[in-house]
Amino acid sequence: MNCQDCLDHLWQYIDGELDIASSDELQRHLAQCRECFSQAELERRLKDMMRRACSGEHAPARLRERLAKILQLY
Amino acid sequence: MTAGSHGGCQHVEAAPRDTYEHLISAHLDGLYGTARRLTRHAASAEDLVQETMLKAWRSFHTFQPGTNVRAWLYRILMNTYFDAQRKHSREPEIVPADDVGDLYLYSRARDGAALGESGNPEFLVLDHILDAEMREGLEALPAPFLAAVLLVDVDGFAYKEAAGVLGIPVGTVMSRLYRGRHALRRRLVEYVRRRRLVRQEAHLWPAPQAQERPEGGA
Repeated sequence: MNCQDCLDHLWQYIDGELDIASSDELQRHLAQCRECFSQAELERRLKDMMRRACSGEHAPARLRERLAKILQLY
Repeated sequence: MTAGSHGGCQHVEAAPRDTYEHLISAHLDGLYGTARRLTRHAASAEDLVQETMLKAWRSFHTFQPGTNVRAWLYRILMNTYFDAQRKHSREPEIVPADDVGDLYLYSRARDGAALGESGNPEFLVLDHILDAEMREGLEALPAPFLAAVLLVDVDGFAYKEAAGVLGIPVGTVMSRLYRGRHALRRRLVEYVRRRRLVRQEAHLWPAPQAQERPEGGA
């Protein structure tokens, strides 16, 4: 696998969407290529940051109460 | 990392109110978080989630055992949101074309130069991004892109599940997801530039222009 092939499939790899054979092949390339490895780390980190930034959201208590009340009516 | 691993495969049998209330409890925070990003407002997010839960309750008796409950709830949420968008807008919905131009992460010819000799300068940008800026960047995405990014990156759905939730082909999910990510990272770079942090590292970036004044950029 060359660098362009690696980068072309990097998002699928990070998203866990590649089949095992392709995933292994990509992983082997990452183990040998500092630049692609660095790019993969960056993408992972960006994804983690997105999740972290959005993960603190809790539904307000008043919404839970409102839903509970409404459901009693049905 | 396993996509769709966030409790996505809860199965239910035909269901009494208790089961439904349990489901609401389990998925409410996640649905609310997604609604919050989509609508950009807390009050609108509450309305959207409430409508979603009521719709889900009304059709809950038709629920087939073995169905992915979480994906089903998200599908109702997305349908409700995009239906409302269409109703409120007289204009036809502007869905940026789903071409495959940005389907791939990088074109060496286009972006390779940014990955220069000093390792990867994008790390410098990520180091300075606040959670609030990340949320703001996400919320600035066109809704179809935002929906794909939220489902896959935040909610952890697999491409195929996200396709089911949005009622679009997997290839379209990928296209919207990747284009959304490209747009997001461009915006994140802008945030950092605006804060002049990049000024110190301007040589690492294909900077638009040197900025003499703090407010000069973007």
